[in-house]
Amino acid sequence: MTSVRPKLKPETPKAVTGWSTATGRSLWLAVDGSWTEDASRLGVFAGDEAEARLAASLKQEGIVTDPYFMEVTADGRITGRESLRETMRAQPVLAYGGAA
Amino acid sequence: MYRYDQFDARLVAERVAQFRGQVARRLAGTLTEDEFKPLRLQNGVYLQLHAYMLRIAIPYGQLSPAQLRRLAEIARDYDRGFGHFTTRQNIQFNWVALKDIPDVLAKLAEVEMHAVQTSGNCIRNTTTDHFAGAAQDELLDPRAWCEIIRQWSTFHPEFAFLPRKFKIAVTAAEHDRAAIRVHDVGLHIRQKDGVTGFEVWVGGGQGRTPVIATLVNPFVPEAQILDYLEAIMRVYNRFGRRDNKYKARIKILVTELGEAEYIRQVEAEFAAQRDAEKINLPKAEVDRIHAYFAPPALAAKSESSKLFEAAKVADPAFARWTRTNLHPHKVAGYTSVTVSLKPLGVAPGDATDSQMEVVAGLSEKYGYGDIRVSHAQNLILPHIALDDVPDVYKALDAAGLGAANESRITDMIVCPGLDFCNLANARSIPVALEVQKVFADPAYEEDIGKLHINVSGCINACGHHHVGHIGILGVDKKGEEFYQILLGGRADEKAALGEIVGPGLKAEDVPGAIHRVVEFYRAQRTSPAEKFIDTLERLGHQPFQDALYAAG
Ligand code: HEM
Ligand code: SF4
Repeated sequence: MTSVRPKLKPETPKAVTGWSTATGRSLWLAVDGSWTEDASRLGVFAGDEAEARLAASLKQEGIVTDPYFMEVTADGRITGRESLRETMRAQPVLAYGGAA
Repeated sequence: MYRYDQFDARLVAERVAQFRGQVARRLAGTLTEDEFKPLRLQNGVYLQLHAYMLRIAIPYGQLSPAQLRRLAEIARDYDRGFGHFTTRQNIQFNWVALKDIPDVLAKLAEVEMHAVQTSGNCIRNTTTDHFAGAAQDELLDPRAWCEIIRQWSTFHPEFAFLPRKFKIAVTAAEHDRAAIRVHDVGLHIRQKDGVTGFEVWVGGGQGRTPVIATLVNPFVPEAQILDYLEAIMRVYNRFGRRDNKYKARIKILVTELGEAEYIRQVEAEFAAQRDAEKINLPKAEVDRIHAYFAPPALAAKSESSKLFEAAKVADPAFARWTRTNLHPHKVAGYTSVTVSLKPLGVAPGDATDSQMEVVAGLSEKYGYGDIRVSHAQNLILPHIALDDVPDVYKALDAAGLGAANESRITDMIVCPGLDFCNLANARSIPVALEVQKVFADPAYEEDIGKLHINVSGCINACGHHHVGHIGILGVDKKGEEFYQILLGGRADEKAALGEIVGPGLKAEDVPGAIHRVVEFYRAQRTSPAEKFIDTLERLGHQPFQDALYAAG
């Protein structure tokens, strides 16, 4: 993908995010393994579990496109270098006239 | 008109069918994103921040009412009720689902539209003056040449895998409204001793390395222009840098070789073409294509219109709009109307489904079925009788399209930025809307006169910030948005690149800074006739920069 993907240390809390293959909407992996369009439901992972979750996501081509790690705090808030972009992805966006 | 012949129809239908199969395989997971990405890009489909985006070609920015109605229908049925007109004279839909895109492409094909050549390293949609065929100051209608270039370049086997994308623009008017000097190739139609030909500019561009094009040949006769373009493309194909995406545009080749050596190579390539391989475009063929663009049969009118004059006296808002949004037509009693897509508070270039339908209807009723998209992200009704202008204005105004701001400070070119774009560093739409608010009073805006503000959300420069009289560039500093201000750019026949004037500003400080610059201009201009850019060029950037950073 085009955006910069910061290298995250194994112990850094992270979420798995990508895009719905069918609609293109942003998705986050929830703790139960389902994909949600609601960023407040994202699962926080670290270490080997995080790696395993991403590896499994990468195999779900028809469901999620281009999954990657995104940095979050232990309680699931967006943080780190890409936080501006990730915050925009998680927000409702402009409709005609600038309304959300 | 753009001739979409049976050959095109079959090719496009095959393309849609092929893409439908590819999408089905992608949704089933049998095509990976890495495999699918080049295929979707060839069909105008991008994956953006929140959704897929579909970019649809509007050859030389020209639309029929049926086409605009179809775009309205797509906006309503597959998007969120609006579309976004871009500076490449195309339209983008920001919310279409991948699963629906084959259906959308099939619906577009029914009105002879497609998304071919809106992306990828090929020769893109050739753009031109949005007043083409109507403008009083044009030598001849440049659209025929855009069409000739389109026919020559579409699916041209040699040029499907260029080092990088390639954009051509054509103008036939002294005042360049097509920004030809910031295109890979810019063609200015000229006449010499009764022969039509082209001034050829090569290697302009924006992006991270902005360059003003080099004049490569002051006059190439029309019969030879395609052969000359082939020579330009061959030199580029052979020597353009494929090793580094950021150095792959033709502008880098021209800069690295130097003007003289580059010209020598093109001329050598042109001279080496064997007669048998020359296209030597026959005059009859040029005439045949010009005939497609025969002017509409405009009813005879007298020079002035009593109705028009009376309406101006009766309604000051209408009178103001006529001062800004009309452009002189070559036929007496007619004018070209700019439909501003920059009302206050709306993302620049956006139009709703119903607004598109209003414009389509006006074009049918008053405008000889001709609609254009301008690179400033507005719509144009090129042939409107002065007698009809009051009615056209009333209908536009009722639809929220009556803004009197063509080429004024609130008529900004703005890229989608971080509200939509995956490459963005900062938002551009909200900053533009905040700047607009400062200049919301129409009388104040009219007093300021012509002033172009262009806004991009990253160095790719889709919002043309390098060539705005004032440019605004969004940058990301450790997760926070900042905006660099540029001064002194212009995209016309005196094309120049703006200069970054100092440290970036926070979003909330941008409107005040722009306001101070504009007030400084108003205080310094010799008369209201001296435009912002002229005062800036007369005084130099420093005093404007001082005003910009003066404590607000
Ligand atoms: C939202 C999705 C978009 C993406 C991903 C995108 C991507 C890019 C990239 C990567 C470049 C730089 C290319 C280079 O320097 O080689 C570029 C340039 C450009 N884009 Fe976009 N763009 C987008 C939207 C737009 C829109 C909405 C417009 C019109 C308003 C636009 C008009 C342009 C123009 C005029 C250039 C400059 C061409 C030049 O280098 O001379 N783009 N775009
Ligand atoms: S200038 Fe940057 S932010 Fe704006 S549309 Fe282009 S790539 Fe996106």
